[in-house]
Amino acid sequence: MTSSSAAARKNLSKIACNRLQKELVEWQVNPPTGFKHKVTDNLQRWVVEVTGAPGTLYANETYQLQVDFPENYPMEAPQVLLLSLSYINLYRLLVFSDVILLLSTVLQVIFLHPAPLHPHIYSNGHICLDILYDSWSPAMTVSSICISILSMLSSSTTKQRPEDNDRYVKNCRNGRSPKETRWWFHDDKV
Amino acid sequence: MGNEEEEEEVVAEVEAVEAVYGTDCVLLRSFPPHFHISLKPRTADVSSQQFVEAVLEIQASSQYPKEPPSVDLVDCKGLDEQRKKYLLNCIQSKAYELSPCLMLVALCEEAAEKLSSMNHPDGDCPLCLFPLVPEDQESGTLPFMKLMSCFHCFHSECIIRWWKWLQNSNKVDSSNTDSAAAHRNQGMDNWKDNPKKTEESVGNCPVCRKPFLAKDLDHVLALVGSYSSQLSSDNEELNEEEKLLQSEDEINRRQKYEAILNLQKENSGLIEPKKEMVILPGMYLPQPVAMPSSTPTKESDEPQQKDPPAVVPEKHAGGTSNSSIPSSSRQRNFGARRQKARSDNHSSSTARNPRKPAQQQWVRRDNPSNKP
Repeated sequence: MTSSSAAARKNLSKIACNRLQKELVEWQVNPPTGFKHKVTDNLQRWVVEVTGAPGTLYANETYQLQVDFPENYPMEAPQVLLLSLSYINLYRLLVFSDVILLLSTVLQVIFLHPAPLHPHIYSNGHICLDILYDSWSPAMTVSSICISILSMLSSSTTKQRPEDNDRYVKNCRNGRSPKETRWWFHDDKV
Repeated sequence: MGNEEEEEEVVAEVEAVEAVYGTDCVLLRSFPPHFHISLKPRTADVSSQQFVEAVLEIQASSQYPKEPPSVDLVDCKGLDEQRKKYLLNCIQSKAYELSPCLMLVALCEEAAEKLSSMNHPDGDCPLCLFPLVPEDQESGTLPFMKLMSCFHCFHSECIIRWWKWLQNSNKVDSSNTDSAAAHRNQGMDNWKDNPKKTEESVGNCPVCRKPFLAKDLDHVLALVGSYSSQLSSDNEELNEEEKLLQSEDEINRRQKYEAILNLQKENSGLIEPKKEMVILPGMYLPQPVAMPSSTPTKESDEPQQKDPPAVVPEKHAGGTSNSSIPSSSRQRNFGARRQKARSDNHSSSTARNPRKPAQQQWVRRDNPSNKP
């Protein structure tokens, strides 16, 4: 995200604040399995760690969800990106394993494949999932979004990028938000 | 022969169920018994007072009644997972309790009984996530409403806020370019396809997306109108906050704190109290520029003075561009030196860093004699 768009982001409304605080409390009591909320003092941006479900193509892989909330949440959907491994994890990996070997894999993870390889996830972290855009409903929560994303990952049968990845990512180069995209949800199998 | 008798008894019991429940009972098979039964709470004569309903499936084996039948929920309204489980558990345990007697009617009665006791909205408003009915009576209850199509309940205020938002964004949407709308309609074929076409009459429940009639919300709109004065005062309060946040004082205040923060960063986390020195007669300012806060003009020319001659080739850049941003294009050795020069300059201009001699700090004429 460019600094200008970050600055343009408006502060949360009172209603949004109340609702997010409530969601956070509920998350702490009952977090969705496979997800870990990384504690920050920023209510408007949540960073959530996702671990692929056991027995799926993404088992034991860890990614990071970045959830940015608009001023009028929950009327408007949050902006969700699925990104690379977190730095905390890199650190852990480096401490416990062979440094040289891991550096190469880690760099690969960061620079070549920042987002999981999935037919609906673009390499810039944008996720093609209808509930994040047109089908958003204010009755959904971060928790329910997380579960949807994990189930999308889990049901995948191939690890590959969307067919139009290069074209799409090139179009988004100036830090465009996925919410500005007009998504076509053509495939409901995965 | 005993078997046949038993079978007859069971068939007679199923007939009894049909007789009791009439059209609420849908018979799928009379032996072994298998039927659906739709139940409503006994306490709800008026539909506005009804918050739950359920359709049960009861399926017995040929061993019935020695073996209790299985009970399942085909459909229900107003029941969350927890309450569904509770309802089924109650019926199931009743079945085990009554076995091996004939129990079909008794089971249905038990279910209706339990459903009646559950005839109140439960849980949180799906929009704000706060309880529909607060547990402690002291906090004021917000009025809530129920969608007739699915029995999902919301705070009236919450659903109206959503409804208005939806219609507003639809308006904005339709005033947008038509090509975009055409594109969207072409690309999608589900209910979301064209909210514009149906916006007048139908909405979709935020929870289950079941369509509801917009006129169902009319009475809620009227209700919300009755305490809209309270709402609008809320809005005013928000506006006030907004005004306050954008006011000049507030902006100045923020700038002040930002300046302090920057200073703190430069001084590696240390802030000296501002009144570190009292101006006494006999002190003088070595430079004509007196006010510590008037840094911008100085910043642009001071580095030039302080720069050693070696920096001459890039002096122009330092002088014209904002020197407080270290330019990455500069050569490294220069960059380091400049940064030092700049921090010197900064600390002196604000007179808060005692470690570095300052040019424009207030200076005592004879230090030893003035020392307190």
